[in-house]
Amino acid sequence: MATDGPDRTAPDVRGDARKGEADAWGAFGLVVSGVLVWGGVGWFVSDRLDNRLPLLVGLLVGMFAGLYLVWFRYGRA
Amino acid sequence: MDTSVLAEGFVSPGPGDFEYSPLFGEGTFFTKPMLIIVLGTLLVAVFFYLAARRATRVPGKLQFAGESAYGFVRNSIALDSIGKEGMRYVPYLATLFFFIAVLNVAGIVPVLQFPATSRIAIPLFLAVISCIIFNSIGIKRQGFVGYFKAMMFPPGIPWPVYILLAPIEFFSTVIVRPVTLCLRLTFNMFAGHLVLLLFILGGEYLLRDYGGPVGVVAGSVSLLGSIVLTFFEGFVQLLQAYVFTLLSALYIGGALLDEH
Repeated sequence: MATDGPDRTAPDVRGDARKGEADAWGAFGLVVSGVLVWGGVGWFVSDRLDNRLPLLVGLLVGMFAGLYLVWFRYGRA
Repeated sequence: MDTSVLAEGFVSPGPGDFEYSPLFGEGTFFTKPMLIIVLGTLLVAVFFYLAARRATRVPGKLQFAGESAYGFVRNSIALDSIGKEGMRYVPYLATLFFFIAVLNVAGIVPVLQFPATSRIAIPLFLAVISCIIFNSIGIKRQGFVGYFKAMMFPPGIPWPVYILLAPIEFFSTVIVRPVTLCLRLTFNMFAGHLVLLLFILGGEYLLRDYGGPVGVVAGSVSLLGSIVLTFFEGFVQLLQAYVFTLLSALYIGGALLDEH
């Protein structure tokens, strides 16, 4: 019981692996959220207007926005 | 192979095998999954109570086991993924880990042989608790506006784009995180239990009812496979308890961080 826990300043390989786990699920969550949120909005508008185009636009916009967020959060150097 | 015989005689396991009727006859409500929850809770509570009672400087066997188990969650989950502040959350994380682990492992304990966590209510409830905890920590630490601002408006994006991105960030943090926590645990346990049922019941059917050289060989392979799969399932059960706890810890760690 001598240690106060790992040294947070030192690079920790195991810690990196954990970060990877969380990042993987975070990226997955962003893409799914993008499609669900804007696809959902598109679906609602489509339902009101009786026109399928808004759903398509919503799904695509949501997908690209989600992918952009993944790049923004995790993909930049 | 004559598939028509299989289709007639063998009832393959399905979601129905996760529905239990009350243990004490019709009209009562107490089912096997509930029994497993009660037993699991008692096991964890009694173990840690006995381990911590009369704690001495030179630990006995039981105290050593208790401290090692608790120390595992403290060192490799709380401190590693949250940092020094993680000490405050070790009691919650340790409770979470051992509760899930025990309910999972009930899936390969003879007689019980059902992972109570494959019933969605249990992981759902735990995921909601984790969600409330990490969000309230974030709100407490960074303020209501500050927390959601850091979550939904990461700096470095032209402002019109926020209209598109902010709802996604909010949805992924507040909704998708607890949902994935819950579903990952539930369906790992669900699928694992289903695979074990299939190998064991299928093996039994092949050996006993199908018969012939094909039945004996295939049935034996199936039953031997079920032994290997039982060990594998034990590994998955502990791993999933670890993953659930680890992600809860990482979410808490993220909420504590001031994202400028």
